[in-house]
Amino acid sequence: MAGGEVKVIDLVKQFGDVTAVDGINLEMPGGEFFSMLGPSGCGKTTTLRMIAGFEQPTSGQILLDGEDMAFTPPHKRNVNTVFQSYALFPHLSVQDNVAFGLRRQKRPKNEIRQRVSEALELVQLTGYEKRKPAQMSGGQQQRVALARALVLKPAVLLLDEPLGALDAKLRKALQIELKALQQQVGITFVYVTHDQEEALTMSDRIAVMNDGRVEQVAPPHEVYEEPSTTFVADFLGVSNLMSVTAHGNSDGRCRVSLGDFELYAARGETHTTGETRIVIRPERVRLEPHDSSGENSVPGMVQRVVYLGNSNQVIVGLANGDRLQALVQNTGDELAYKQGDAVRVQLPADALRVLTDTGTAPIDEDAVAAAV
Amino acid sequence: MSRPAELPRRAGGGFSLWQRAFGWATNPWGRPRFLALVTWGYMAWAILPVLVAIQFSFNDSRSLSSWHSFTTKWYTSSDPAIESVLHSASLRGALDQSLKLAVLDVVIATPIGVLLAIGLARWRGRGSGPSNFLMLFPLVTPEIVSGVALLLLFTKMLTFIHTGTTAQLLGHVTFSISYVVVIVRGRLFSIGRQYEEAAADLGASPSVALLRVLFPLLLPAIVASAAIVFAISIDDFVISQWLSNGANTSTVPMLIYDATRSTPLPSTDGIATVIMLITLASVVAGVMVYRFFTRGEGGTSSAIDDVAGFGI
Repeated sequence: MAGGEVKVIDLVKQFGDVTAVDGINLEMPGGEFFSMLGPSGCGKTTTLRMIAGFEQPTSGQILLDGEDMAFTPPHKRNVNTVFQSYALFPHLSVQDNVAFGLRRQKRPKNEIRQRVSEALELVQLTGYEKRKPAQMSGGQQQRVALARALVLKPAVLLLDEPLGALDAKLRKALQIELKALQQQVGITFVYVTHDQEEALTMSDRIAVMNDGRVEQVAPPHEVYEEPSTTFVADFLGVSNLMSVTAHGNSDGRCRVSLGDFELYAARGETHTTGETRIVIRPERVRLEPHDSSGENSVPGMVQRVVYLGNSNQVIVGLANGDRLQALVQNTGDELAYKQGDAVRVQLPADALRVLTDTGTAPIDEDAVAAAV
Repeated sequence: MSRPAELPRRAGGGFSLWQRAFGWATNPWGRPRFLALVTWGYMAWAILPVLVAIQFSFNDSRSLSSWHSFTTKWYTSSDPAIESVLHSASLRGALDQSLKLAVLDVVIATPIGVLLAIGLARWRGRGSGPSNFLMLFPLVTPEIVSGVALLLLFTKMLTFIHTGTTAQLLGHVTFSISYVVVIVRGRLFSIGRQYEEAAADLGASPSVALLRVLFPLLLPAIVASAAIVFAISIDDFVISQWLSNGANTSTVPMLIYDATRSTPLPSTDGIATVIMLITLASVVAGVMVYRFFTRGEGGTSSAIDDVAGFGI
C-alpha cells in the first residue's frame, strides 16, 4: 500500500503544568517499522495518542501523507490503533469486533464477511469467529486486536506496547510474527515500547525518547553501536560510562584523561574538548595480565566474577576509582581471573566512544554492578 | 490461646466443654465460625419479624398476635366485610398508586441519571468536583428535610405544581437520580475510556460509540439501578406522605402506617407481603440481568459493581 508517511513537526503536549511532549520532530516514511523507545513517562505513548487523535496537541503539526491532521477527530483519521489492553469490545464476538470498523464504513455485507475472514486468516484465528474475547487467551486477544485494526487497511498502524501484557516466551514468538506481518501488509507501523529488545528486533528505525524529547533516531544497530547521548548509551544495553576530560582530536582520535591515565577514543565526537563522558560496551572490554602494557590500558583489580552461563561478568575496579563491567565469553576453559586478582583493562580505541553531552543519566555504579 | 492443642488440659486429659466451644468458634485454621454466628444472628433478627408478619396475613382471625388457622381470605375474599387485598378499594388504590409512582420513577429517573453519570464522569475541570459531590447530596439529606423542602417549594413558589401524584413523582425522581448516577458512574469508571477510544479509532462517531459500545457495556448497571430505583420508590414513605393530597394519593407504605395506627387487620400484612415480594422480585431480576450481561468478565469487578450487582 502506498503512502502512510507520518511527519511530526514541533509537537508539544502539556497536561496542566507538566510537559509530556516537548517539541519533537519525527519523520516516518511509508512502510517503515518505526519504534518509539523510552522509559515510562518519556512521552512516547502521548505522542502515539496524538497521532491516533485521542489527545489534542498543545501545538505543532501531525502530517499524514502531507496533510495536517492534528485537529481531525480520531474517527476521521486513516490510522488504526492496537491498544496495550487490546480494548476488545467484551459484548461482541470476535467476528463482530473485527467487523466493527467495516460496519461503520457501511460496507456491503458480503464484503464485510470476506474481509473479516481474510483478516482472521492473516492472524491465524480462523475458526474463532463466534468466541467472545473473554474466552480467549491473551495472545489470541492480541491477534484479534491486530485483525480488527488491519481489516480497515489503514495507512498507518499504531501499536501501544501491544506485547506488554504477555509472558516472555509468547512475546518473543509474537515479535517475529509482528515483523513478518508488517512486511506482508507493507504499511507503516508506529510501535511504542519500553522494551529495548522488542525495539531492536523488529524496528527499521528507533526513536529513543526521554523526558518528552527525542534523544536519537537511527536504525537498531546504530542506536546500540553509536549512541549519540549518554541517555541512549545507558538505556540500551549495558554501558560502561566514564567521566573524562577531552583534549580534542589528534590523528582522528580524541585524547582523553581518565584520572591520571591517558586514553584514545576513536569513535563519536572526537573533536570534543573539556569535561565529557566516554562509553564502552562490556563485551568490548578486554582483560589482560597485570604485567602486560600498551595503549589504552588501565590497571585494576577484579572485584567480582558472576557466572552467566554463556559468559562471565567481571566487575573490575580501575586504579582511578571507576568501576567497569567486562563480559568474557565462556570458551569452556576456566576463567583466568578471580576476585582480588590484579589485571590490566584494555579499552580498545575503536570501541571507546566520546559522547556529546554530560547527560542526564548519572553514572550509577551500583546499577553497573547489578546489571546482567 | 489459638491452637486447641495449646489450651491448658484438664486433669483427665480432655478439653472442657467451654474450651471445646471456644476452640470451635475461634480456631484460626477452621472456617470463621464466630463471624458466621454473628451473621446468622443478624439475619434472624432482621428476617423473623417479616416472616411473622407474612404468617399472620394468612391467619383465619382478625388477630395479629394469636394464630388460628390458615386462610387466604385476606388476599382473595370478595366479602365486603373482609377488605381483602384484591377487593378492597383502598388497598387496591394504594397498590396502584405505589406501582404507578415506582414505574414512572424508573422511566424518568433512569435515563436522566445515566446521562448525568456519563456527563459527570467525562467532565474534567472547574466545577466537576463540586457537582460530583452535590450528586451525593440527596443520598445523605434526611428524607424528612427534602420532603418538607419540596412541599414548601410546591405550595409557596411553584404553585402550578399541585400536591398529589405529580408532586410525589417529582419528589421520587429527585432522590432516585442520585442512586442511578452513583451506580452507573461506578461502572463507567471500571469500564474506563479505552472502549470508547477503540470505537472512535475504528471510525465510530461519538454518538455511534455511545450507542454501540458504551450503552451495551453500561446496560447491566442501568438495569441494576432501575431495579434499585423501583425498590426504593415503592418503599418510600416520607416523601410520598408529605406530597400527597389525601386518600386517593395514598401509597402502600402510607396505608400500612395509617392502618397500624387505627385498626390493623391481616389484610394490612397481606398488602405488605405483596409489596415486599414485588420489591424482592425487582431486585432479584436486576441482579440476574446484571450477572447475565457481565458473565465472563472475570475478576474485573469493582466494589461499585458489587453494589450494583447485589442491589444494596
